[in-house]
Amino acid sequence: MNVQELIESGNLELYVAGSLSIEESREVEEAIEKHPEIKQQVEMIEAGVITLAEAVSPPLSALIWSQIVDNIRKVRSISDRKDSSTNWGAITGWAAAVLALAGIFWMLKEKNDLQDRVQYTTTQNTVLEEKVEKTETELADANEVLDVIRSKEYNSYTLPGNQAVAPQAFAKVYFNKKDKIAYIDAKGLPEAPRGKVYQVWSLTMQPLTPTSVGLLDATAETKNRLFRVDMSQVASTEAFGITLEPEGGSETPTMDQLYTLGQVTP
Amino acid sequence: MKQPDELILSMQDGNEKAFSKLYSMYSEALFGIIYSIVLDEAVAEEVMQDVFIKIWNNSKSYNVKKGRFFTWILNIARNTAIDKTRSKAYKNSKKNLSTTNFVDIIATSDNLNKKTNAIGIKKYLDALKPACIKIIDFLIFKGYTQKDAAKEMDIPLGTLKTRNRKCMQDLKTIVLG
Repeated sequence: MNVQELIESGNLELYVAGSLSIEESREVEEAIEKHPEIKQQVEMIEAGVITLAEAVSPPLSALIWSQIVDNIRKVRSISDRKDSSTNWGAITGWAAAVLALAGIFWMLKEKNDLQDRVQYTTTQNTVLEEKVEKTETELADANEVLDVIRSKEYNSYTLPGNQAVAPQAFAKVYFNKKDKIAYIDAKGLPEAPRGKVYQVWSLTMQPLTPTSVGLLDATAETKNRLFRVDMSQVASTEAFGITLEPEGGSETPTMDQLYTLGQVTP
Repeated sequence: MKQPDELILSMQDGNEKAFSKLYSMYSEALFGIIYSIVLDEAVAEEVMQDVFIKIWNNSKSYNVKKGRFFTWILNIARNTAIDKTRSKAYKNSKKNLSTTNFVDIIATSDNLNKKTNAIGIKKYLDALKPACIKIIDFLIFKGYTQKDAAKEMDIPLGTLKTRNRKCMQDLKTIVLG
């Protein structure tokens, strides 16, 4: 069929109407490719069929389109949901839950660690506070001692060692006659053996009368083997002697255990 | 009428706006075809929805390089409408329906709001021979093949082809002025 024959055959109308056989359709398609006028004819026929069909159409409600749109959107959202094999919402949810749980455990551990550290620090603080307190006390004691030694109310005396018992030993006495308080520095005395204690005696010479003024034990110790001795029970003192006595002290001094002895100038 | 290939490709990519434009261009013609088959406005509206949902869902099966888009959607419209007429519910409600064709519909149409001047076309259609009306009805509105149309009209295929050629030329004159 040439172009004119094809146009007159009525097959172009049937092609638009979709009533041609597959071979006939192919023939028309080839002709459309080759001849622009055939294409133009087909477009004209299509316009004619559309016009005829539109003439048959009852009024078209706008509702139809809105229902079509509703439907394709619904279908699309359903198929979208079906298509996505990975449910990101759920995955995100689970991941968040796992993270949150891990976070909680981590924070619990962190909290426990912190509590341990706080406790450790508190303990350390207590230890340090005690140390500070001890140091302060020691400082106060040292200052007190220093005050004693420096003050003019106190006179210092050195009690030399008894040649017979302990020639190397010595003791120092800081004596306040007015307030009747003495400090004995026993640093020069050897450490008292177990079960023994040094006892301090106040002596008057004419006649020789020893009076016990105290034991150099823990209760009297102020600092570094410095002992405070209360002399208020003694009327007058001319000399100090220190003897080693059994624990608890003795009524009278054991003279062969006399470690130091020294006069106090009036 | 040139085919809007760009709109069609855009719709195939899922562009709803392009689909909406194509609807405006072709909906009235398809509704006419559907109505001429089901002869009931409410049923025609139902079919119309199905047809455009099918067009949307199957848009990728149409190839702009092969065949006319209008022919493709015309086939969908006719087949969906014919399927509808075969349903039991439809048959029960349309028992007493007399055979009606596009000319009868246009003749009884009182709708003046459409873009086509149906009254003007009616004048020319009156000049169409009854055999032509049947051929056009079968081939364009009902989508019969020439063979089926010949069988339906009880004429030889050759006769149908000859008549058809004449009818189509008459139709061209009518619809294109």
